[in-house]
Amino acid sequence: MSNELLRCENICKTFGSVKALDDVNFVVQKGEIHGLLGENGAGKSTLMNILYGLYNPDKGKVFLSGKAITISSPLDSIKNKIGMVHQVSTLVPEFTALENIMLGSEGGSFSLPEAKVKKKILELSEEFGLAFPIDEKVKNLSAGVKQKIEIIRSLYGGANLLILDEPTTSLVESEFHQLLKSLKIFVEKGVTVIFITHKIKEVMEACNAVTVMRKGKIQSTVKGEDLGVESLVKLMFMEQDIEVNESALPKVTVPESKVSSEPVLELKGVCVPGTAEHHSLEDISFKIYGGEILGVAAVSGNGEKSIAECVVNPSIVDKGEMLVDGESICDDSILDVFDKGVFYTPEDRIHEGILNEGSVKENVLLGHHRRDKFLKNNLFVKWDEVSLAAKKVIKEFNVATPDENLSIRRLSGGNIQKTIMGRAFVSPLKLLVTHNPTSGLDISTVEFIFNKLVELRSQGSGVLFVNEDLDELMIVCDRIAVLHDGKLKGIFKRSEFDKYKIGLLMIGES
Amino acid sequence: MEFITTFLHTVIVYTTVYTLASVGILISGRAGIFNVAGEGIMLAAASAGFLVSFFSGNALLGFLAGALMGGIFGLILAFIHEKFKVNQFILGICLVIFGSGLSDLLYKLIIGVRLSAPMAPDTPAICIPFLSKIPIISGILNQDVIVYFMYAVTALSWWFFYKTKMGLETRAIGENPKAADVVGINVSRRRYLATIIGSALIGVSGAYLTIAITKTYSPDIAAGRGFMAVGIAIFASWKPHRAILGGFIFALIELIAFQLQMISYSIPYQFFLMLPFLSVIILMIIYKKNIEFPASVGNPYSRE
Amino acid sequence: MKDNKLINQILRGLLIYGSAVVLALGVTSIFVACLGYDVSDALSTLLTTSFKSSFGFSETIKKTIPLLFATYAFTIPFMIKFFNIGGWGQMLMGGCVTAAVGLSLASLGLPPVVMVPLLLVVGMLAGGCFALLAGFAKAKYDVNPIISTIMLNFVAYQFVNFIATSSLYKDPLEGHPITRYLPSSATLGFMGGVPVSIFLSLIVIVLVYLMMKKTKLGFEITAVGYNLKASKTYGIDFSKTIMLAFFIGGALAGLGGCLEVLNIHGRLIEGFAKTSGAQYGIFGILTSLVVAGNPLAAPIAAFFMSVLLVGADSLQRTMQIPVEVVFLSQAIIVMFVVIIRKRFGKGGI
Repeated sequence: MSNELLRCENICKTFGSVKALDDVNFVVQKGEIHGLLGENGAGKSTLMNILYGLYNPDKGKVFLSGKAITISSPLDSIKNKIGMVHQVSTLVPEFTALENIMLGSEGGSFSLPEAKVKKKILELSEEFGLAFPIDEKVKNLSAGVKQKIEIIRSLYGGANLLILDEPTTSLVESEFHQLLKSLKIFVEKGVTVIFITHKIKEVMEACNAVTVMRKGKIQSTVKGEDLGVESLVKLMFMEQDIEVNESALPKVTVPESKVSSEPVLELKGVCVPGTAEHHSLEDISFKIYGGEILGVAAVSGNGEKSIAECVVNPSIVDKGEMLVDGESICDDSILDVFDKGVFYTPEDRIHEGILNEGSVKENVLLGHHRRDKFLKNNLFVKWDEVSLAAKKVIKEFNVATPDENLSIRRLSGGNIQKTIMGRAFVSPLKLLVTHNPTSGLDISTVEFIFNKLVELRSQGSGVLFVNEDLDELMIVCDRIAVLHDGKLKGIFKRSEFDKYKIGLLMIGES
Repeated sequence: MEFITTFLHTVIVYTTVYTLASVGILISGRAGIFNVAGEGIMLAAASAGFLVSFFSGNALLGFLAGALMGGIFGLILAFIHEKFKVNQFILGICLVIFGSGLSDLLYKLIIGVRLSAPMAPDTPAICIPFLSKIPIISGILNQDVIVYFMYAVTALSWWFFYKTKMGLETRAIGENPKAADVVGINVSRRRYLATIIGSALIGVSGAYLTIAITKTYSPDIAAGRGFMAVGIAIFASWKPHRAILGGFIFALIELIAFQLQMISYSIPYQFFLMLPFLSVIILMIIYKKNIEFPASVGNPYSRE
Repeated sequence: MKDNKLINQILRGLLIYGSAVVLALGVTSIFVACLGYDVSDALSTLLTTSFKSSFGFSETIKKTIPLLFATYAFTIPFMIKFFNIGGWGQMLMGGCVTAAVGLSLASLGLPPVVMVPLLLVVGMLAGGCFALLAGFAKAKYDVNPIISTIMLNFVAYQFVNFIATSSLYKDPLEGHPITRYLPSSATLGFMGGVPVSIFLSLIVIVLVYLMMKKTKLGFEITAVGYNLKASKTYGIDFSKTIMLAFFIGGALAGLGGCLEVLNIHGRLIEGFAKTSGAQYGIFGILTSLVVAGNPLAAPIAAFFMSVLLVGADSLQRTMQIPVEVVFLSQAIIVMFVVIIRKRFGKGGI
């Protein structure tokens, strides 16, 4: 028993009317790499944010090495030697790594002990095998390096319990293995790790104990011999009426389809200049035929957003040729491109995809608001027609809403994504460009959306599917194009799919 | 030479007004609070500062009162924003209106209408030996205490933001409050502090208008300088050493325009009086490329 | 389901505006009491002056019209989450350009059917283009509209002074900067003490409603206000929308200024766009914030605000209570309403 490091008892937390954590009990032993597994929205991050003092629980107690502690702010958790690496980077982009680590460090408020801090950072990064450029502004560094900085920052504060919240989101296979190596070093040096993820495969590789969460409750903790894919799948997806395969990936049948002879989309030597919003693209050429799904695999921030966006918004392209059905779209506005039968679902569904204060109906109109079918005298909006279209979207995409007048922000993430997807189908589609349509959704919604993409493909339309999850791409795509640092590294046919090989190309090695 | 020295002297006096106010604005801006209430704070502090100095016969007490009045405005702004997450710009606009109403009301109630306007006592001046005898330089150095206060505030705030850990942390809040929060910095408390101190400085600037420059109170005495100070803070990319430069440039423009309107006959004088205001917009357009904002200035921060 | 929602909405409205009224009276009473005046007298004067006499009522309508246009000037850019503090300046431009053009055309002897519509368009264009400067500076050079519109207010003020003192237009008999009277073919009259511009205002209210709720442009403005990024992603031209929103807001303010010149004063008087010692622009901002920038509620709010303003003038006349008291309490009330809406309303601003 003396080996227990952390114990949470009866933790409850509600946000508004949503019960995020319901009577959670959670124990971590010293020296473990403890996986916390569950789908998005299961309450993993909420629990960890409570441990880190960012949220205060409604009820419950936390014990560290058998002693009850109160954590009401991150300062308390830092004092108790708890460190956390958050899912979204919490570094100041304008500051250097050194300046970021100096924030909140010990020492007087009115001095700046740069030399001292620098020395300690170098020692730590040597000790734990995590090297990074110390005087470079963080905004110029990749996601993987930022993660290293955040880990060192926690260790600098003396953390002996390190919480990693979805650390693999922007890592590829080989970087993931590097992280695994570091985790082993942590344990050797006496640091205990809590590893949050929604991927069964990762906990199997990384962890020696796993706790599964579901809908705000702890399902169970498994360790040692009991730790197996089958038991984890059962715990994670119990009650859910779906078939789940070995790695808990969505199951979609992709039938043979007839591929058109002429491409629906062709890019020839497309270049996009790098800006604050867009990563640059260099000399991108590919074709998408009707009846085909072309995937784009890239580590986040390598130009994948630019590829998705340049097709619908040609104004960001400064060189090259883009053809839809053989017609150039280079001088077109976004709406002109839409008029040619292309539509888009953006990466960030809440911030780019919806009018969050608007109704479902208004959201369905967005992007179609200049089409003749919804306008009278090219001036007045035909709201009756819009209502009909919205009703059709709600029906065909199973959007759970009482009617089309409901404010869209009252819908769940899955239903919002279905509305966004449904909006694309309001007018006839030749090509759908979709970026991360499934991120953070539960597995049945993911399957629903994939089936819609496959349906579109069967009807002879093309799909440009940009996705951060390589596993998902490999399920539905006919071909996968790999992108690194704005350059196309190769296009693989379905028969050539190789996760390791594609992963290496994604980080620019081959 | 004499003319240049006198002119420079006046320019420095107005530089003080602009710089104190815009440093006050940028201090809270660095902590993420976009204080557009500068005009209202200056007006309220101008009135309060004048009244206290007039009745106490002590100019320094007047400046203190102006700082206090500014601090109270800062407290209100920070409290309502931090507690209820109300949009900072809406709050700022309300406070401008509140301040301009308050300034006249205070004066009307306490002084009322008098035949001869009451005058503020003299502000103590400091003459630095030798240097203050040299022409031109004496325009910069042969000044009252608030001018030196302005020099000191500018230098100190630069040192604070770029040479101390607390300053680094305050800048971090303006860039990414979450980054500061997760390393144990109390974001809300720092925002209170920065806003109160910043607003107090704006208050001193307002009091300086009535106590030292006009020596008497008249309605709407800030005449848009509080808004221009916001423009200067932006134009200076929220950096103290550039704010003093910006303050000097705008003081120069204001006084040159004032001189020109008296001597020019071909162009109507109103067009010279427009110049300072137009130049704010024009300079912001010209220097667009060099303007940087703290990434989170103007945004509320909450964890959930 | 639907009925419930409606009842909820009404209850929420009652909560917000009810508490606003109670707060308004409460805060004002505290001020009045602190200054040693009789609270009940003051409150009844404040609230009933508008309705006690036909003079009071016509004064109220006279204030409501410019206030409504000043409210629109803030409201329409505010629908895309930008602040137009320059309603006052746009009103001034609308008024002074109207006066200048009207006086210049006086010798042509145009009939009223030509002159009045022409001047209305001139006023709207002047206000609209002036606001467009700020919209353009934002769209093209990312200049914060709060700063630019305020700066333009001061520019407009000097411009009015220039027109009103210029030898071309100035009334030589007046000591103050005031122009000559416009020809009678250009001015509008009164009906039973109420300015006829009220009819024009009613038409504008309907047009604004139609534009915001039924047209493509209204949808685009609403969409940009709901989510700038999403509306850009789906092809709404942000630069165009923001410039249009500022233009429309400014044009309405310009119309307000134009009507002041054509209907109330018959000429340009420096400081014409003020009431109770402060600018209409400021009261317009306060009015708009009370109704959370809802263009449909603006007319009602403008009317009630005018009741308070007429009451405030009367307080100053009859009880020597400074108008600033009402002014201050209005600023406080708006802050309270914004807080209440943030806490209990949906989302809020």
